[in-house]
Amino acid sequence: MKKYFYVFSLSLQQAMQHRASLLMDRVRSVALLLSLYFLWSALMQNQDSFLGYSRTQMLSYVLCMNLLRAFVLSTHAWDMVGEISSGRISSYLLRPIRYFGFCLARDFSQKVVFLGSALLEVFLLLWCLRATVYFPGSWRSVFFFFVAVWGAFFMYFFLAFLVSSLAFWTSESAGPLFCFELLLQFTAGVFFPLDVLPPYVQGWLHVLPFPYLIYFPLSIYLEKLPLSSILHGFMMQGVWMVILGWVAAGVWRKGLRVYMAEGG
Amino acid sequence: MSSTIEVKNLAKVFRVPEKSPGLRGALSSLFFRKFREIWAVKELSFSIQKGELVGFLGANGAGKTTTLKMLSGLLHPTSGQVQVLGFTPHQRRIQFLKQISLVMGQRSQLWWEIPAQETLKLNKEIFELGDSEYQETLSELVEVLELQECLDIPVKRLSLGQRMKAELCAALLHRPSLLLLDEPTLGLDVVMQKKMRQFIREYNQRYRATILLTSHNMDDVVALCDRVIIIERGQMLYDGELNRVVERYAPHKLMTVDFQSVVDTERVAALGKIVSNGGSRMVLEIPRKEVSSVASRLLSQFPVVDLTITETPLDDVVRRIFTRTLEK
Repeated sequence: MKKYFYVFSLSLQQAMQHRASLLMDRVRSVALLLSLYFLWSALMQNQDSFLGYSRTQMLSYVLCMNLLRAFVLSTHAWDMVGEISSGRISSYLLRPIRYFGFCLARDFSQKVVFLGSALLEVFLLLWCLRATVYFPGSWRSVFFFFVAVWGAFFMYFFLAFLVSSLAFWTSESAGPLFCFELLLQFTAGVFFPLDVLPPYVQGWLHVLPFPYLIYFPLSIYLEKLPLSSILHGFMMQGVWMVILGWVAAGVWRKGLRVYMAEGG
Repeated sequence: MSSTIEVKNLAKVFRVPEKSPGLRGALSSLFFRKFREIWAVKELSFSIQKGELVGFLGANGAGKTTTLKMLSGLLHPTSGQVQVLGFTPHQRRIQFLKQISLVMGQRSQLWWEIPAQETLKLNKEIFELGDSEYQETLSELVEVLELQECLDIPVKRLSLGQRMKAELCAALLHRPSLLLLDEPTLGLDVVMQKKMRQFIREYNQRYRATILLTSHNMDDVVALCDRVIIIERGQMLYDGELNRVVERYAPHKLMTVDFQSVVDTERVAALGKIVSNGGSRMVLEIPRKEVSSVASRLLSQFPVVDLTITETPLDDVVRRIFTRTLEK
């Protein structure tokens, strides 16, 4: 266990070294945050609620989405793609450490950095705009929210690991990863709450794992779901976690069989 | 005695995409991709005992690195059996990985942005080394490899030689009983090459470690290996003592003759092929069986001051073997 903690600490150090890259990532994130905030503010200018969301709820959705995006959707999956196609992954495969655990520790370090930065951004925005945010009325909602966030964390980790593992077969898996990220942000509820979509689209989306990454935890936080829907959501998260974890492990094992250990 | 490495009929086939030249080729490969099978290693069998230091030679593309990668568990063999330290390498058991190390000259396990000592500490945790064991090995390695000045500088700022030494330090921290070295002196200056060789020899003797090394630098092989394995197109060409390679693959000996004065080149050439001609000093290439008769004819027919008979240098022999392989 200590080895993974050390990987976490080293990755944190490495992230501090990449200041420009970190800054650019956050600038991108703040740009998205501001555009969504002003878009929703403009849409709700002369009305108290819009598509079932009060002003405070919508603002809270946008702000919390920024935090969740930093924690759930941040990953080093791009590094894994590079490591597989260049053969750099060999140096991990040759040491008694599980690459799966290594990636988890490395991802966690990025999540910590991104979350810290996102918190700062959200507080700054709240202070500048003198805005009020929604707080759940019951501790039960807060508890369910945190459980859903951890579920989303693991689901996304398995998903990103699975897509990155495609690099064993194609050196161009940066392409699939890019498309996957875009599609994922749209269907996870990064740009807008998914219940503004037509019901039949929502029905389809809720069969997929994506809504359970951002939209589901945020709906719990904003207390828009009855208990039965929350329990159904947890069940879906559990089922998808098992499926994605199982497929990711299988693809990884198969990938190792075809790995060419290029370079060197 | 059980072997440290036991390889039987080992084979590895790579499936590589084929592309016709030009834009048309690129377009057609977008829709219809053809693949070609390449046998990197074919029917290779050998065994290496504990404590042996073996040179693994072959021309570029002969399959040396592929074999090392299979021995370390990075590649799954297409067919055949490999047993290393009693394990099947590609299963990558923790106990197996704790006992081996593969150092590739062009590959790094060091974290690029941060000082090498951080990777060393990470390896301490990965290999679950105790504090005293770690400190003892580290100070020993730092001293021998002269790494005192390099450990707290970010790896990207180190010179190639320093990086190579730090790499070796990281690879040996857990005192592996099997060391697979791929071009360990690549890019090092002559002084550092010598030190590196000395270190490898010492490591082999001190820990009775088994070492298999590939190198294009014949000085490495001559200085370190009593036994060599030469492979050609993935197949075994020679496995035996280094000294015997010359006997087997060099049908000629070299005869260096110093004459009292400049002699008629054509008359000398009738006795053997002139390899170099310095006027009163010539080097001839003479078939092994004819050495004594040619020597006596030279002494009787020419004003000879000095005559020396030597074996063809090993690197020339190996170069010839490799050239032959590439020409095929």
